[in-house]
Amino acid sequence: MTQYAALIYTRDVDWSLPEYADVSEGYGKFSENNAASIRGGAALYQTSTATVVRVKGARGGEVVTTDGPYAETKEALTGFYLVEADDLDAAVAIAAQIPAAWDGAVELRPVNSMGSDNG
Amino acid sequence: MIRIEGARLLATLIRMVGDLSIAEEAVQEAAIAALAEWPRKGVPDHPRAWLTTTARHKAIDIIRRERARTGKEQAGVQLMELSRADDPPDTVLRDDLLRLIFTCCHPALAPESRVALALRTLCQLSTAQVAAVMLTSETAAAKRLTRARQKITTARIPYRVPADAELPSRLAAVCGVVHALYTFGHAPLGGNALMNIDICGEGLRLARLLRELLPDEPMPAAVLALILFTEARRPARSDATGEVVLLADQDRGLWDRTLIAEGLQLLDESLRRTEAIADPYQLQAAIAAEHARASSYAQTDWTEIARLYDLLVAVAPSGPAALSRAVAIAERDGAEAGLAALHGLASEPRLEAVRSELLARTGRYAEAVVAVDASLVADVTEPERSYRERKRAEWVRFTREPSQRC
Repeated sequence: MTQYAALIYTRDVDWSLPEYADVSEGYGKFSENNAASIRGGAALYQTSTATVVRVKGARGGEVVTTDGPYAETKEALTGFYLVEADDLDAAVAIAAQIPAAWDGAVELRPVNSMGSDNG
Repeated sequence: MIRIEGARLLATLIRMVGDLSIAEEAVQEAAIAALAEWPRKGVPDHPRAWLTTTARHKAIDIIRRERARTGKEQAGVQLMELSRADDPPDTVLRDDLLRLIFTCCHPALAPESRVALALRTLCQLSTAQVAAVMLTSETAAAKRLTRARQKITTARIPYRVPADAELPSRLAAVCGVVHALYTFGHAPLGGNALMNIDICGEGLRLARLLRELLPDEPMPAAVLALILFTEARRPARSDATGEVVLLADQDRGLWDRTLIAEGLQLLDESLRRTEAIADPYQLQAAIAAEHARASSYAQTDWTEIARLYDLLVAVAPSGPAALSRAVAIAERDGAEAGLAALHGLASEPRLEAVRSELLARTGRYAEAVVAVDASLVADVTEPERSYRERKRAEWVRFTREPSQRC
């Protein structure tokens, strides 16, 4: 089994607002249906709440913060899941059920376990 | 022949080992061993079995070396000891090859990476040859191949023939690669063909292989038909001096009628298998069939071709399809209609070349010169460049001396 990060890109809104209750319900259903494969995840607030952190020079240097997000993109990173699947095709089948896949996009990236080995 | 054997051997090894890179290395080492031994000891009675056994042993060595080096088993790799016959029966071989093909052409890989991987693993071209075909440097090609292999391993792209539900879309990706690969050979390499690789031959061979492996699927039949029609016209496509001969001027007596007959049969079969809307390959093949049926450019059924292009741009919109549609409309309704059909399409060299021809047909020679200039960019192939420059010179003469126009 391999772990994948499913990065969710959608419209940049506050998904916790009542007007988006349907969408939240959709995510709830997804989590329920795929509980066996999901290892974690979170919804994120809008990009207007983001802060970018950089340190000048070297470690211990001056900490500079700017109003985020890191990159202005057409759709915003608004959440993520950590899913476990046998292979990419299986992960894709799971990701395709995430509501964002229908009107936004989901990026799948294998997790680098950094040698702590579960394969 | 030898190269299809290489692909079969690779496909078998991938099944045994579960990893493309290790399988490739093992096959290469087995080939080196064969080159060293066979001249001395003679070719073995069963060369394929010899190669498979040798490659499997090399793979075991490679895996052990890797394990010793990193201290752990690489994920996904499995060592199949003597459980499988070393000369697999045809049904197993067929599945091995299909797995390899579907993996190389997986949609998660970038389109150019799929073509590069197919050239390397299915056509068994060297990295330098892949680079020559794709018009990049050897370093760039090597990097692309390495990245593709790494992605297959790291993202765990599976070695599997897709399930029935996914087969149509996955097969479309495979057919796309085969056709793109053939098209690389159709457009002559810019400058001289240093590597002397018959890419059209490779593309045709792959299309035939795909058709052989999946005889009941309509799409491989349509792609093969399309390639056969295109291949049939090859003898007429350039003249003795290597200059480009346009479809309108080709000597149709030079067209290979055997290939055309085969293509027509395949297209017919393909269409019989699909009762619904034609897929893009069937449409393109049908268009090519119309050209093949016409005894001359003038006799071509442009109405039918324009109708087919209407369907094609609806089903699979693309720049080239839209451009060809405009040409068909020009033939059916006149140059002005063709120019109108070019409206809204993004400007690019081929389009400007077509536009220049249509403008010239309406007598607007000055504008035609402007358009053809826009089409003469850096990487135009030599035959096309000289053709366009000749036309340009003609049109410049006409703008200067209107009385010269015919």
